[in-house]
Order: sequence, then C-alpha cells, then structure tokens
Amino acid sequence: MSTVVLAVAGGHKTQSIVDACQSDESKKVLVVGYTISSQEELARRIHQGRVRTHAEVTGWFSFLMQHLIRPYLPLLYPGTHLTGLNFDGDPGRYATGLARFMDHDGRAYKLHIAKLAYEVMKASQGAAMDRLGRIYEEIFIDEVQDLGGWDLEIIEALLTSPIQVTMVGDLRQALLDTEARDPKNSGFRGEKLINWFLAMENKNLLKIEHRPTTYRCNQAIAKFSDTIFEPTLGYQATQSASPESHSHSGIFTVSEELAAQYQATFNALCLRHSVSSGRALQLPFLNFGVAKGKTAPHVLIYPTQTIRTFLATRTPLDGRAACGLYIAVTRAQHSVAFVTNQPVQGLTDWHDDVRE
Amino acid sequence: MIKRVTIRGYRIFRDLTVTPDPEVNIIVGDNESGKSTLLEAVALGLTAHVDGRWAGEELNPYWFNQELVRDYFAGYANGCTEPPPEIEIELYLDSTASELQRMRGVHNRLGEDCPGVKFRISLDPDYSAEFDDYMSSPGRPDILPTEYFSVSWRDFGDAPMQRQVKGLGVSFIDSRTLRSKAGVDYHTRQILSSFLEPKQRAAISVAYRMSRHDMTTSALTDLNERIATEGESLHDRQIGLTMDQSARASWESDVIPQVGDTPFAMAGQGQQAAIKVALAMRRSSTVTSFVLIEEPETHLSYSSLQRLVGRIKKLAGAQQLFITTHSSFVLNRLGLDKLLLLRGNQICRITDLSQDTVGYFKHLSGYDSLRLVLANRLVLVEGPSDEMVFRRGYYDARQVYPEDAGIDVVSMNGLSYRRALELCALLDRDAVVIRDNDNIAPAELVDDVSDLLSEQRHLIAGDPAAGTTLEPQLIRANGVAAMSKILSLRAQDDPMTWMHNHKSEGALRVLMTGEDVKMPQYLSDAIALLS
Repeated sequence: MSTVVLAVAGGHKTQSIVDACQSDESKKVLVVGYTISSQEELARRIHQGRVRTHAEVTGWFSFLMQHLIRPYLPLLYPGTHLTGLNFDGDPGRYATGLARFMDHDGRAYKLHIAKLAYEVMKASQGAAMDRLGRIYEEIFIDEVQDLGGWDLEIIEALLTSPIQVTMVGDLRQALLDTEARDPKNSGFRGEKLINWFLAMENKNLLKIEHRPTTYRCNQAIAKFSDTIFEPTLGYQATQSASPESHSHSGIFTVSEELAAQYQATFNALCLRHSVSSGRALQLPFLNFGVAKGKTAPHVLIYPTQTIRTFLATRTPLDGRAACGLYIAVTRAQHSVAFVTNQPVQGLTDWHDDVRE
Repeated sequence: MIKRVTIRGYRIFRDLTVTPDPEVNIIVGDNESGKSTLLEAVALGLTAHVDGRWAGEELNPYWFNQELVRDYFAGYANGCTEPPPEIEIELYLDSTASELQRMRGVHNRLGEDCPGVKFRISLDPDYSAEFDDYMSSPGRPDILPTEYFSVSWRDFGDAPMQRQVKGLGVSFIDSRTLRSKAGVDYHTRQILSSFLEPKQRAAISVAYRMSRHDMTTSALTDLNERIATEGESLHDRQIGLTMDQSARASWESDVIPQVGDTPFAMAGQGQQAAIKVALAMRRSSTVTSFVLIEEPETHLSYSSLQRLVGRIKKLAGAQQLFITTHSSFVLNRLGLDKLLLLRGNQICRITDLSQDTVGYFKHLSGYDSLRLVLANRLVLVEGPSDEMVFRRGYYDARQVYPEDAGIDVVSMNGLSYRRALELCALLDRDAVVIRDNDNIAPAELVDDVSDLLSEQRHLIAGDPAAGTTLEPQLIRANGVAAMSKILSLRAQDDPMTWMHNHKSEGALRVLMTGEDVKMPQYLSDAIALLS
C-alpha cells in the first residue's frame, strides 16, 4: 500500500527517504524531489559512501518529461518531439492544442506540463504506467505539499499502478505552487491537500501516516508553531524530541532599535516575508520561501502586518500567510524572536541587559 | 532480443524489414546480396560505432543507398526539392528487463510501443545553408557531402543513447578478418577486455608503465650517457632517449592473446576463428545478448567446422545469434527453419517448414541444401547420370547449357522429392522435378505431391511403358543401334546391360557424343517447361 507521511518541520522527512533507499540497495528506486536544492541534498545523502545503490534522484518536471511525456508524445501529437522545458514561458490564455503545451522549439511550458503529462499518459492507454512499473519498484516523492492541480491526477495514476509510492511532506510548508492558474483541483491547494489525501485513503489507494515529532525545535517553539493553524484542520500537537541545551531559548520580541544587536549576539538567521518587508533594517534577511529546509539555532523574524495581528490576537492564520510563518518559526532549534516595538502578551521582550 | 530490424537507405538496402528468430538466424544469399551489410546494420544500431569509432566520425558517402543517391541527384537536376537521402536503422526489442524498458516508447516508424533503438543519419539542419551551396555549386560531383550530415542515436522513448546499454551487448566474430598489425582485430580485443575487472586493468596498466620506466633507467642509461658526452654539439640542452609513456603506448596494444605457445596472430586462421567463438561464448549473457558471426566456415576443415557449429549451437538460447554463411553444412546443422534468405533487397524466412523436414536435413548435413535455397530456377533430377543427359538435351534444344540460362540442375542423390519440394514451395521457387517412374503412372506420382506443385513447380516422370528409369527410356527413344553408336559400344555389347553397369560413364558419353541424341518424351517435356 502506498503511503503519505505527513511530518512536522524537523521531522527527519528527507532522512527517512535516505534510510529507505539505503536499506535495500538492490531495489530499483526513483526519488523525486521538487526544488533543485532538495534534489541535490537527496542525491548527496543517498549516495554518500555508497557505490552501488540503484536509487535514482530526479526532479518532478524531469520525471514528467522523461517517463510520461517523451516516450509517448506522438500518440497525442504525431510527429512531435520533446526537446526540453520552457521554464518561464506562457502560451497565453487562448492557446489551444499543441501550442498550449509546447513552444516552437519543442520545449514544454512548465505552466501546463502536468496537464500535458496527464494527456499523454491517457493517450498511451496504460503503456506509460506499465513502462514505469517495469523500471521502478518504488517511487519516493519528497515535499509532496508543493504538488497540486494536474500533478494530483498523475499521482492518482501512480497510486493505482503496481508501483509502491511513498510521499513525504508537511502541508504546513506548502509555499510553492506548481500551477497557480489552472483551476484543476483548486480545492486542494496548499494545506487543503490533506482533503485530497483523505479522498485517496477513502478509495483505499493510500495510507496517511502522521509523524508529529520534531527533532529540531524545542517544545516551546513546537507549541508556538501549532498555534499558527486552525485547530479544525486536525493537526496533531507537535512533540519535541530535541535535547534542550541552550541558555537562550523560547519566543521573544525585540525592538527595531535592538534588532541588530540581537542578531550579532546570537548570530540569528534573519527571515522576512519578502523583499518589501523590513527594509529599514540593515540585516541579512532571507525570504521565508528560500529558508525552507534550513536549520538555525536562533531565528529573527521581521513580521508582516498579518503576523503582527496574529501576535496581538493569537487568531490562527490560513493559507500562504500561515505556511510562511510556520516555515520561519520552525527553522529555529532554540529561540525565535520577532522584531516589533509593540509588547506582545506572553512573549519576553529582549534587552541587552536581559541575561538568562 | 531483437524482434524486428528495419533498414532504410543503408548500402544495398533501400527498405528492408527482417523479423529474426529469437535464437538463431542463418543469413544466406548470393554474393553481394547484403549478408554482411545486414550484420553491420544490426551492429550499427546496437552500438553506433564502426570498428570502435563513433559512427559520426566515420561517415562515408557510400553508406547511403546508391540508388537513392542517384535518384536524388537526378531529381535535383530536374528541379525536384525532395530532401536528401537518409539512413535509418530501427531495432525493435522484445524484453521486459528494467534496463531495456527505459528504452521503451513509440518513437519508431510503426508507432509500436516497445523498447528499441533508432539510428539515423540525416542532413544536419545547422548545415542546410552549406548543403544548398554545395548542391548548387557548378561542377560538383554527384556525391553526398557527409560533412553536413549528422548521426542521431536514440531509443524508442526519444531519449538520446549515451553509451552501450546493459543488456544490449554485442559480440562480433569475423573469421574473415585479415591479420592486422596489432595481431588482434578490434572485435576480439573488445571481447578479451571484457574479461578483465577494472581493478585488474588498472594493475596491468601500472605494471606496464613501470616496466617501460625500468627500461629507460636501465638499458637506455648507457646510451643516454654516450649521447650526453658526444652529442653536446647537437643542441644546447641535453638530448636523451626515453620510453613513450603517453596514452598511445598503452598495454592494450602490446598485450596479445596466446594459444599454447603461439601468439594469437601466428595461430592458424581456423584456430583463430574457433578461439573467437569460444571467447564470445564465455562472455556471460549479461555482457553479451547478441552474437554476430561472419562466415564461420572460413578457414575451417570439415571436422573443425563440425566442432565449431556444435559450440555455436550451445550459444543459442542465452544469446540471439546472427550468422552469415555460404555453407550448406552450417545451414543444415543449425536448422533450415532458421534460414533468412536475402535476395534482391527482399528477405524471406521459412517459418512453416515442418520439424520433421528440419530434422531430416540436419541428419543429411552433407546435402547441398543451399543450392536449392539460392537457385533461381531449379531442375531436380535423380542422380548424376540424369543430370548429364538432361544437360545434353537442354543444350540440343536451346544451344546453351542450363547453368548459362540461370537454371541450376541438382541431383537428389536419394533425397526425398517431397522434402525438397516442401522447401521449394516455402521459398516459392520455380522448379521442375524429373524423376524415375518406379513403374507407377506419372499422374499418380504428381498426385502424391500435388499440394506442393503450382504453375511454377512441376513434377515430370516417363511413361512406365517406355521403361522405369532413364536408360531404357533412352534406348526406347533412340533405338538399340543408334544407342550403341552414341555410346561407342563394341558390336557384342548390349546397350541395356552396358548402361546398367556403367551408369554415369554412359551418361557422360551421351553428353559428349557427336551423334544426334533423341531425348525421351518426358525429358523433352521438362525442357519445354523451362522456356
């Protein structure tokens, strides 16, 4: 039975794939990562010190092109060849047929690539999945929360194939969206993907496994991160398995005036929503999206207005705002600080004379 | 294994499709019919290499089908704008192995979903302007400028092939290869090196380098000292000799196989051929899936050939074999049903030959079945004396001997007519069978094999009233006195008794005589059929 493992940030998601690949090296395995940095990380860790592992690492788009589109494309559009990926191109709203999917050089538009893969797969009448099933016994998909739209149709086809599919991800980190425009499966975007997994579970195609243990954040941060989302979404409370060892731990506020000093004192990782936030401060900020996958002992966050409201009212956030904040907070092992001049109830305001 | 080969525009083949046997394929045909070209094409599709070099670096205008090239230039002269000729070789594979399933897709001419390889040589679009310039330049020869062509080697999934795929290994055994300077031809070297583990190769390479270095420091030292003292006038810096340590001086060209105490290249050609086959056999089937053998009979005596064919038979099954041959022995022993007959750009495979008949020819392995297979028009006769008399009759009627008219007269020598006709029928050969009547009415004899006869295949026998065999029929046709004269017999000899005791001598005299010879009616009928 195929499985989706929904783990919290710092839940050793990538490590579980690495371990699975190394436990049976004769198994023909494909590992699909989403971002290039995650593919590199997966490949490095899986092949570390191993000569003969059969695991192959690829990206989601490469996977669609290599195994679904390219071999059977002529069945949908006779005589056409796929030459590559058009990453930024847009065929326009009214393009139809082949022109909607491919540019004049035979490159597939990233924008509609999953739809194209789905159409080709359908045209192959099962051949594409049969071929795949003879090449790989198991397929791992990392960061599954980043998939949506037509991607889900392809995953459903995988789930009904004899291939064992293991997906790992954290719906609370759904910041990337592969196809924002196509309305297909729009009800399952972002953290609502859980409903799609539940539907698959109802069809007996998938088993959902929750892993609420974090090996990164301490309990205080874990608890704080749980409050970001609506309790009705049904996430289990995060358990910290991190050995607490730092003298500066917990959730803090820091005034704008002291932010630079705070950063210097704790060498904190500075995070912001986007380039437009925190411009007044001369700090080495990273955007939330880019920080994904990173770990830091201490984190300093420049809050957006939405986050400020959240801090004041503690009303849960939703959508991308929730995901962004969740990613930012859960980078930290020991402490999280928000840059704000307003006192926040329940958080300690940091001064240079505060010495724990 | 390969389930279909299509070759378009390569050498003699304009458009050829072969559906080979999964185990053994014996390719026969006249000289120049394309037997070796077929093996070459298979090897090209599997490796995209020619003698160890990437096909793109070896492009040759004469790889293109010359008919197509001629048509193209003729068309161009008449203002036709057809694209220039291309070469395309497709190998359709039948395998569920995971390595080969990666090569699966529908990018082939038939749009069939299976693993496979497509090798193609076509005009490189980047050079189309240069090509147009070439074509329109005055006084250019009618030769394709292959500099402007490029090679593409992709699988049926449309992915470029990078290297030799596991599961598609090929051993090419060419007994005809002349001794090369290196002692071992490229294909044999390939087979040999596949026995070595990478570590062993590295160890040999290091030892070899050290021994060359030793040579510089020992034997060459005295010489270098002498040059140093005497050669100061040569150049302002010291000159000396050293062993070449560059990649060219690799052990691979200096290490050669040895048979007993004899270097491989010095061994007999027959032995070389036997060793090449033995080596190819030892390669495990994971390394080699296809074995291509060119004319294994070359340089081999009958008994060595028998041993070799025995080995080849063992190869079959684990590997798919393609063998070209001119030897009926090889054909009979490996099974007539494995025959691929090349003739005039067409290929014909016998798939419906009864196992019974296949076994029959296996046991009669000395029989020249290849003549039946290769002949244009066949006349099958009982034995050598019938053959000679028939030739005489044919010559008298047509003023040429049958062989000069493209007719092959073959003695059956006891081979069953039915078996021979079965083979002819499957190959759709024109044939006339001339047989003794054994005191049976000809109509009855015809009836026995009527299922194998047609407008092009006839069975003819003499009227039993005129005698059961050739000799009485001849005497009946000519009369005793004339027959005595034809045979130059003494007065006391009875032609009937004498001919019975001297069958082939009598036939020879009929063939050579200056006297007029009347043919028995059934032989005249047969000759008439061959108009």
